[in-house]
Amino acid sequence: MSLNISIDGKTCTCESGEFLLEVARRNGFYIPTLCAHESLSEQGCCRVCIVEIVSGERSQIVVSCVYPVERAIEVLTNSEKVKALRGMTLALLQKLAPASSLIAGMCKAYGAPELPRLEARADDDTCILCGLCVKACAQLGTGAIAAVNRGIEKKIATPYDQPSATCIGCASCAQVCPTGSIVVKQDAQERSIWGRTFTLLACDRCGVILDTTEAVAYAATLRDAPPEHLCPDCRKQQVAQAFVGVYGK
Amino acid sequence: MPEPEKNVTVQDIEAIARKYPAEKRFALAIMQDVQREFSYLPQPVFEVIHRHIGTPVAHLYALATFYKALSLKPKGQNVIKLCDGTACHMRGASNLSKGIRAALDIEPGESSADGLFSLELVNCVGSCALAPVMVINETYYGKVTMESLPAIIAEHRRASCEDTAASCETEVVA
Repeated sequence: MSLNISIDGKTCTCESGEFLLEVARRNGFYIPTLCAHESLSEQGCCRVCIVEIVSGERSQIVVSCVYPVERAIEVLTNSEKVKALRGMTLALLQKLAPASSLIAGMCKAYGAPELPRLEARADDDTCILCGLCVKACAQLGTGAIAAVNRGIEKKIATPYDQPSATCIGCASCAQVCPTGSIVVKQDAQERSIWGRTFTLLACDRCGVILDTTEAVAYAATLRDAPPEHLCPDCRKQQVAQAFVGVYGK
Repeated sequence: MPEPEKNVTVQDIEAIARKYPAEKRFALAIMQDVQREFSYLPQPVFEVIHRHIGTPVAHLYALATFYKALSLKPKGQNVIKLCDGTACHMRGASNLSKGIRAALDIEPGESSADGLFSLELVNCVGSCALAPVMVINETYYGKVTMESLPAIIAEHRRASCEDTAASCETEVVA
């Protein structure tokens, strides 16, 4: 069923049950997010994407990335109330990740209060514990990392903080991390992540780096095929060459 | 009470895991059984459960570190739960924590070197009228004072020594 909602005064059409953030983005509205990733399901944990919805006399703050639109509503993405709460949310996130330049920048841009009475976590911390990396690892990798401990001791780690035997070094976790908090070191031959070093595999033809040996092998087991040894471009070329002769010269 | 230093074999853990169907939802139940049997979760537990139900080792480890009832280090024969809820805190639970440190040389979350005691700080055991409250194994001690503390610990030490005839020479009479 189609619905008409108003976002900052503009009428937008959406399907019933669609998440508000998606509708807003499609219609050209910018709502800041941290824990949302287009390829991974919504988590709704960073609370930065909050918006105000007005329905009749009532107004409420909702988390737009996990708020399904089910009736005609009026949405305000940048009301005074939203600005104040978003600022506070960012200020609290900064206490979690004081070393993150992204969070610091957002705090400045959204006028976050200082909160001098709250103690920040370790000075070098850049992780906001959104868990996007854990989700990416579970879906794209092998589930080698998870949120360990709880409360103020919570952190993302491998079991016993030891190099994980199941990690394939695909670095999906680092790629989705909104604050760039996962350290990956890479040169022409090797990639180091989560305390382990992996050998990189290069394309047989052009030498472009494919991925770690383990990640390529893992992808092969998923496809139930022999491990890939060409990069996407060279593979395309190879297929094209095979077809060149098919339809005559 | 189980012996904390018992040699745990992978077969022992497998036997426990096999009591449950190979489904994700039994991960916690298996861990609880292992905890009960060995007084902690030895490292191979996660690999065994992973093989049984398929959940990644890291996720099982995360589960184990989330629940206070599960421990990665061997717990003492006698588990001292010192309440640090609001009422007990106001009535001097922190002092008792220092008293226990003096008597057993352990901080909250640690086990004594002889394996007889471990200390946990808990948040309210529901008997605030008796604050400060301390629970050793299943026994509740109310209105504990620094004066009554050594006798309570000594009583449990004596009971454990009679059971095992071990570690008695280290008895501390404070």
